[in-house]
Amino acid sequence: MMETILEIKHLNKTYPDGTEALKDISLSVKKGEFIVIIGPSGAGKSTFLRSINRLSEPSGGEILFHGEDIVKANRAKLRKIRRNIGMIFQGFNLVKRLPTVRNVLHGKLGYMSTWKGALGLFGQEEVEEALDILERVGLEKQAFKRADELSGGQQQRVAIARAINQSPSMILADEPIASLDPNASRVVMDYLQKACRDEGFTTIVNLHQVDFAKEYADRIVGIKNGEVYFDGPVHELTEDVIKAIYATDKEAMPV
Amino acid sequence: MRQEALKVSPSSQPSMTKKQSKYDEYKRRRKILLKSQAYIVGLISLLALWSIWGTGFNLLSLVFGTYEILVFIFTDMFPPDLSVIGSLISPALDTLYMSYVGMVISVLVSLILGVLAANNLSPHWIVARVSRSVTAFLRSVPAVVWAIILVSGIGLGPLTGTIAIGLSGIGILGKAYAEVLESIDENQLEGVRATGANWFQVIGQAVWPQFKAGFVSWSLYKLDMNIREAAILGLVGAGGLGYYLQGSINLFQYKEAATAILMIFALILLVEYMTAKIRERII
Repeated sequence: MMETILEIKHLNKTYPDGTEALKDISLSVKKGEFIVIIGPSGAGKSTFLRSINRLSEPSGGEILFHGEDIVKANRAKLRKIRRNIGMIFQGFNLVKRLPTVRNVLHGKLGYMSTWKGALGLFGQEEVEEALDILERVGLEKQAFKRADELSGGQQQRVAIARAINQSPSMILADEPIASLDPNASRVVMDYLQKACRDEGFTTIVNLHQVDFAKEYADRIVGIKNGEVYFDGPVHELTEDVIKAIYATDKEAMPV
Repeated sequence: MRQEALKVSPSSQPSMTKKQSKYDEYKRRRKILLKSQAYIVGLISLLALWSIWGTGFNLLSLVFGTYEILVFIFTDMFPPDLSVIGSLISPALDTLYMSYVGMVISVLVSLILGVLAANNLSPHWIVARVSRSVTAFLRSVPAVVWAIILVSGIGLGPLTGTIAIGLSGIGILGKAYAEVLESIDENQLEGVRATGANWFQVIGQAVWPQFKAGFVSWSLYKLDMNIREAAILGLVGAGGLGYYLQGSINLFQYKEAATAILMIFALILLVEYMTAKIRERII
């Protein structure tokens, strides 16, 4: 079948205070898959996703991306890997005081010389490409507005545009719709899915809305207490499994 | 009956005492808070009293002194001798140059020291500590003292004043920049970092847009302050209007001195007006 793009082996993450956020996670991701990770808050979903591009440093294990170990990569190599992995955040993480189009252009930073990038000297071709991508996420009219003038849903679409502009082979989305209303959530998820289908991006999304997960995912991974609890296609995710993933060890709240 | 009584007591009575004890807890904490506030107010009042005693502060001497001051101003300084304005233009320009070039020096050096001192951007915490110590040292030595030290090496003149202002400015701007930089939104940096941008690119594209307003504000504020400082530096021989002021006071030419003071006042107003305009445009 399809080639494996990401192979995670025995990934561990222990915080300095001794909290074990990830315990021996192994996962194999095929090219073009749309994976949704579900699990209760605090289960380690976010830490797991952020470990893949090392915004959060893993404590042990291997992450093979296109056969290269991300965990062992030095700074220069890590930057090359990062430009090949688009990241979408819960809080959008756009540079708020800059125009929308400039935020999209940031996707090209990993391909530019240090100084051109630092000074924001983007060429005509790059600007035109960024504007094209903005049109594809339906924001051509907002191109020259400051990012913080846009609504939450629009800002997240700018973030998707920034990720697309990296021409990545994989996209990580950490709770992309957690701070959006249901309507904007649907629009954002639709654009994300469309971008990934059109461009063939492999996608890993953290969600806490199980209904959204079922609707958009090819494959669902359930994480509980820092471990993979479930891994399979959507139809195998029964109500019982969902209950087990979200059940906590602690007593239920007193009524 | 007995069973009912037993049933009632665990549900209602303990909850009442629980509420009561919670309220006691609330009152106890509130008392501790009020007590510590009282200590702080008391301490501040004591320090104020001590300082009043130490400086010999006396309202009466201010009241009686005012009369003497007014007599001095109106008989010795008034009217200002406006005929010397022509010879004041060049010292006034010197004061402006000193303030401006001094600001540029402190801005350039402080940008580097500020980035190195900001905990969220510094390449290493030791670098941050060292940078913080350097700025703290430069800040602890007043510009006048720098000028006195520099006069012995460089000699009298505006160059001495410029460097003195620049050095003490680094102390202030370096700290101010570091604090502005530490308060920027880390998430925005993360967003850019995740695209594969390197350190300089993150600084240019994610830090700078957030830092710009604070940077402009603080730098212009320093320019504003520098005019005042430059006037004082003249008194120790660092050139500019202050130097002229000191000369005329030594010769008891108070009417000329009054003109120089008016000139300093005019300069301050001018710079204040201009910096306000620039700030409006940029922020």
